[in-house]
Amino acid sequence: MNTFKYILIASCIAVPLSMSSCKKFLDKPLENQQRSEEIDYSNTALMYGPVSGVYRSAADDNLVHWIDLSIRCMRDDDYLQAAPNPNDNPELMAIKNFQNDVTVQSYWGLNQSWISYYSLVIAVNNALIELDNFAAKIPASNTKDLILNKQYKAEVRFLRAYAHLMASRLFGNVPILIDSENIGRLATIEKSTAAEVRQFIMAEMNECIEDLEDARPNQSIHIGAVTKYTALLLKAKAAADLAGNDNGSPHWEEVLDATNKIIASNKFSLYPNYYELFKIPGKLANESLFELQYSDFGLSTGDIVRPGVDWGTFFKWQGPSGDQKGSPISGAGWVPPSQDIVDFLTNRGDNERLKTTILYCGINGNPATSATTPSGDVVYGNPFGVKYFNGKAYLPKAQMTAGRMEYGANNNVRILRYADVLLLNAEAKVRKGQNGDEPFRLVRERAKLGAISNVTLNQILDERRAEFACEWWGERFNDLVRTGKAKDVFGAKFIPGMSESLPIPQTQIDANPNFR
Amino acid sequence: MASVALLSCLTNPVSAQNRTITGKVTNELGIPLVASITVSGDSKIGTSSNENGDFTISIPQNSSYLMVSSLGYETKTVAITGNSVNIQLKANADFNLDEVVVVGYGTQRKGDLTAPISTVNMQDMAKRTVSNPMDALQGAVTGVQIVSSGAPGSTPSVRVRGVGSFNNESPLYVVDGMFMDNIDFLNPNDIADISILKDASGAAIYGVRAANGVILVTTKKGSLNMKSRVTYNGFAGFQTPTNMLKMANAQQYAHYATATGNGAFVKNSVEKFGGTETNPAMDTDWFNELLRSKALITNHNVDVMGGSEKISYAFGLNYVKQEGIMDAKNNNQKFNMRMQADAKVTDWLKVGFMAHLNNFKSYHPDNAAFRQAYFASPLYPVYDPSLELAKPEKFGSSTAIGMQSGFWYNNPVATAFYRNNQTRGFQILPSFYVEAELWKDKITFKSQLSQRYQSTHNIGYNPIYYIDNDQRNDRSFLRSAQARNNNYILDNLLTYKDGAGKHHWTVLLGQSSREERWRETWVQANDVPESEEFWYVGVGAQGIGSATGYGERGSRNAGISYFTRGTYDYDNKYLLTATFRADGSSKYQTKWGYFPSVGLGWVLTKEKFMENQTLFNQLKIRGSWGKLGNDGIQPNAGYATVYSGNNFSGIFGSEGTTNGTRIPGYRVGRFFSQVRWEVVEEWDGGLDFALLNNRLSGTVDYYHRTTHDLAFSRPIPFSWDRVYGNWGSVANSGWEVGLQWKDKIGALGYAIAGNVTTLKNTVKNLGGLENIMNGYPEWSAEFPARIQINEPINYYYGYEVAGVYQNQAQIDADPIASAYNKQNPNSPIVPGYFQYKDQNNNGELDENDRINLGNYLPKITYGFNLAFDYKKFDMSIAFQGVSGNKIHNLNRAMRRKYNQMNVDAAFVENLWTGEGTSNTHPSAAGSVASWNLQASSFFVESGAYLRVQNIQLGYNFDFPKLPTRIFVTADRPFIFTKYNGFTPEVSEMGFDANVYPIASTYSLGVKVSF
Repeated sequence: MNTFKYILIASCIAVPLSMSSCKKFLDKPLENQQRSEEIDYSNTALMYGPVSGVYRSAADDNLVHWIDLSIRCMRDDDYLQAAPNPNDNPELMAIKNFQNDVTVQSYWGLNQSWISYYSLVIAVNNALIELDNFAAKIPASNTKDLILNKQYKAEVRFLRAYAHLMASRLFGNVPILIDSENIGRLATIEKSTAAEVRQFIMAEMNECIEDLEDARPNQSIHIGAVTKYTALLLKAKAAADLAGNDNGSPHWEEVLDATNKIIASNKFSLYPNYYELFKIPGKLANESLFELQYSDFGLSTGDIVRPGVDWGTFFKWQGPSGDQKGSPISGAGWVPPSQDIVDFLTNRGDNERLKTTILYCGINGNPATSATTPSGDVVYGNPFGVKYFNGKAYLPKAQMTAGRMEYGANNNVRILRYADVLLLNAEAKVRKGQNGDEPFRLVRERAKLGAISNVTLNQILDERRAEFACEWWGERFNDLVRTGKAKDVFGAKFIPGMSESLPIPQTQIDANPNFR
Repeated sequence: MASVALLSCLTNPVSAQNRTITGKVTNELGIPLVASITVSGDSKIGTSSNENGDFTISIPQNSSYLMVSSLGYETKTVAITGNSVNIQLKANADFNLDEVVVVGYGTQRKGDLTAPISTVNMQDMAKRTVSNPMDALQGAVTGVQIVSSGAPGSTPSVRVRGVGSFNNESPLYVVDGMFMDNIDFLNPNDIADISILKDASGAAIYGVRAANGVILVTTKKGSLNMKSRVTYNGFAGFQTPTNMLKMANAQQYAHYATATGNGAFVKNSVEKFGGTETNPAMDTDWFNELLRSKALITNHNVDVMGGSEKISYAFGLNYVKQEGIMDAKNNNQKFNMRMQADAKVTDWLKVGFMAHLNNFKSYHPDNAAFRQAYFASPLYPVYDPSLELAKPEKFGSSTAIGMQSGFWYNNPVATAFYRNNQTRGFQILPSFYVEAELWKDKITFKSQLSQRYQSTHNIGYNPIYYIDNDQRNDRSFLRSAQARNNNYILDNLLTYKDGAGKHHWTVLLGQSSREERWRETWVQANDVPESEEFWYVGVGAQGIGSATGYGERGSRNAGISYFTRGTYDYDNKYLLTATFRADGSSKYQTKWGYFPSVGLGWVLTKEKFMENQTLFNQLKIRGSWGKLGNDGIQPNAGYATVYSGNNFSGIFGSEGTTNGTRIPGYRVGRFFSQVRWEVVEEWDGGLDFALLNNRLSGTVDYYHRTTHDLAFSRPIPFSWDRVYGNWGSVANSGWEVGLQWKDKIGALGYAIAGNVTTLKNTVKNLGGLENIMNGYPEWSAEFPARIQINEPINYYYGYEVAGVYQNQAQIDADPIASAYNKQNPNSPIVPGYFQYKDQNNNGELDENDRINLGNYLPKITYGFNLAFDYKKFDMSIAFQGVSGNKIHNLNRAMRRKYNQMNVDAAFVENLWTGEGTSNTHPSAAGSVASWNLQASSFFVESGAYLRVQNIQLGYNFDFPKLPTRIFVTADRPFIFTKYNGFTPEVSEMGFDANVYPIASTYSLGVKVSF
């Protein structure tokens, strides 16, 4: 019996010792989480991975978030209000009225906009680190991959610059964030002026233009990726912002030069059917310079990549509200077009653009009535007194993948179009005292409007409004600001020097006092 | 000695048929006891044990049981199986120095403790008619705050001595040696004993898991030489909603809606459903529609336990079913089986086995329905047959009165109705031990393997339905997820106990290894038929339900620990306890942590100078210091993580009618840091006392805990991402007082007990940051909570409402308002708007005018109870409450986004309606203006409450051999609170966005044993 006792004593000493010798017992990496060090940077076949990841960031939420969309649209006179009931989210009406106080500053939506743009910026910065890691493994002799590496970097740098432009157009003076690895820096970085931001964008684009693919986006190896011409247009837009209403500004030369290069490439053309341009047939047309791409993969159910959260996708958010009796042509009914834009298009006899931009819903939106779209879908009225919805967000049922019920599913979100190139080109020419008739004619012709000779600046600005009516990027407001017309249009509530930008969100100031 | 001799004289003369039994009586520590021993059923035959615990008794041949009793111990009935019997008595739960208290990896005599260990009065606990054992402890133990939720099967939030962590506030539960995150699976009737280790001296033996306190749960066990006993204990009753929140009715809402510019809804409702615009006919009380007035709760338990000379056993079965008070598929059922057997193989070797088998099934309600019920307008009906498209049920829609549809406007009854989310599962907790006495009464070695196997299956099914554009589901959807938990702990303990003269000491050496694995597999599909038997995903399943998504998740952690405890006392007068634990963990880059503790005690009543006083029966001073760890923080990689796969890949080639496809992409999370566990350093000083002939007893403690290396996610400017690390420290301190008075006046016995805990919470360090903004998800920008040095954690941050502008003159005279109105002529401040206090007197309302508006942690948590017994009746009443805490009434604040929503009646009744009518509430129109919807003291309300926790009246029947008690119970029948919400019990940061309300329970129960 005693022997047994000794065995026990021995084992009670031996067991702990044997366990401690198993050092591996504690050396367990986290389950199912890949370390970045495990990426094989010498395998250049993986090199587009971080770039594709950034495009996805942009498409998921960062450029199409529903509240950011609402905030951006609010300041255009193309839009009536935010929510179907104007009392909802009263801050959005306050923004529409250019209110600039603590009630707006503490609004969560502003914080979301800020975070949307800068999350994309940080995603780009992280991707650039990845691309550096790949570059370090490419032998100097392998020029092909070194060139590709530069091209990929330029693609994501374009997205970073674009995010900065959007942030600055909303908030004015914003930080230029090109290194975000150090968290401490994020909490101390200073603001740059709106002009510095645009100069940064132009400098970035000058470098990217060299490295990017010389192709139309839909000719790119990665179909729909940004190319040299996308960067040229962004540079032109930043330059036009900088030039402002000053015809003598040297920046007009840069606008002219950049747009001339795009036109001279002969790669781009306007999609002949303005109405279908915003529907399935117009996805990534030869007119497209930058588009966020989505897909339902032709499946009636399951896997889908959509712009934003399922209940508030970019499209669904703008879909007709009211009882649509089970039709997929329905949504939350936000950011409805204003009477002003309808009258504007009607008065200039711009039928093609009116048909495309405005989705009617019965007689003055009366819920007992309905309207039929040019594509044959029935849209009913609503109890909110909303008369129109955004026709550019409308995707006809017949074009939807069979089985899908989600408004706008499988459509892309158009951002930069060749029409912008032509109109900026015309504007730069006119401002520099040249004749802008030719590019102008092309845009009007596509919209089934007659040519105008000796086109004036005001005619170009009106054309810009009509062409880009109710598109979602705040172009109209920006045009009014840069041409100094904002006060004429908005009246006394617009105070120059103050109303151009929204306050930086209080939570961001709380996190970084340098934003004060 | 004289009395023992006298007792012996009384024993009957030995007769021819008698047999002689010899034996020994000891307590749980093996200390001999003087006890009286009689033959069960015949108290005339009896004897006493001597000072060595030995006794001899001669009893009739047909007697089979002995009754053994001793002062301060529970009376025990023992089966006579041979000619000798060893009897162990259990100390009475009342104040008793010889009471044995369960401590980490062992037991200790209560008189020798240097730690304030609370033991739970299981008799009081048994009175509570709750299905979760932790709910039964609410208000019963000092230093422990419990916040309950009304949803059946939900886990209450338990805080021991405040909040010292952002990560995991929950204590460690040790159930018969197995580490658990909660004890939801147990039935209160499974439990024999609960000890709560609060300070370092008690808890540090659990090292890296001990920072939030340790709750040791021992389930029921038989003991050697115990008469077999069968007990049935059960109750059935109903729960009914209590403290119902009164919402504005149709008339009030109509008036309010008209005043806020929403008159169109009233007009539409009147047109459609009748009535007048001041008194619409449609008046839906949504809470009333959503709640059941009577929800069943029932609990049945059968226990069998007993023991022979070598084997003891227990077997238990219980079943509890609780319906939720939400009128939907919403309930919780538990069916538990418990088996235990211990065997003395030889006089030095013991083996034992214990297993819990749990079966459970829950339907989880959609709590969003409560929020929607707060929002929903009373002007539209629950069911509306006029809606042509509504299917399968004709639920009403807010669109019928011209209101928006979508989440905030959904029909709450429909939300609850179309929800089907169920979890079923089982769990097995087997444990096995071997215990060898290597040196009799001195050295024992014990090795125990405890395991946990849990398997759950969660099914969520959305049927096809249509109410309006937004509240609809066009294609049925099934998600089915199965998860496995697979944990084990292997403990090896060597205990040495010895003494010399008045010196006594013990040494414990221990080693423990553990591993925890969790893995979940899920699949989902559309177009799955509605009948439950077709809820399968995959090719060949019914319908066309092939998988549209699937995935797996999992985690794995391992730990190794070495620990030791030494205790020493001199004459039970000077006491010392020291513990040390070294913990190794796989969760962090830093693998090892070391956790020491020291406790000292001095029993003054044992001193000479106290000998002649009669006031104190006992007086002890204690003090302790130690370090405790919290590894409830996220495991950390310490490296940049790669996110890849479908969700991180861009779409390309989505051109014209060509479908886009993915190009494999990935994203790298660059923000990371090396994280380790949090360390709590705790000081405790206390007194234990009993006086006035043991009638008054109690404990007083002061505690001070500092959490170092406080781990939290620091918000990163520019992004929703946060970076996790050990950034700061926070301190919690306070007093704990527990008192009990017990006496008897004639046949009336009574007891009064009370406990109070105070808490002061202060943030000490934030790793160089000025402050951190926090808050309720998606409302943190508007209604933030803030963490700042030298303030309590997560206080509500905003403007202080000084009053309401009564007239234009006041507005014009106020620099803030007049400046604002100049800037914003389109939306000016008008009478009936809030006047915010200009804290920095700079004449404008700016960020520096925001202040600390209060915090969610109660400054005082208390409970008290009264108990009486008179002859065969007994009655008890327990109260419980908190004070000094605030609640952020987010229900009212959410009006900032959605102003058509309904509101509680108190709100509309108190609105400003003209000069002098209110200085606290805005006007109706003002109540939807952004100016008045800023984070301010208006939305921060007192969360203090006092609740009658439990009233029970019992009656005992003296049926021969079948003692029976019947009892009626009212559980949580009344609450006294000023808070304008359903319940002041709001967990987490105290933002009330409508929680599942607490119900009152009324029940009838019976306990029978034989």
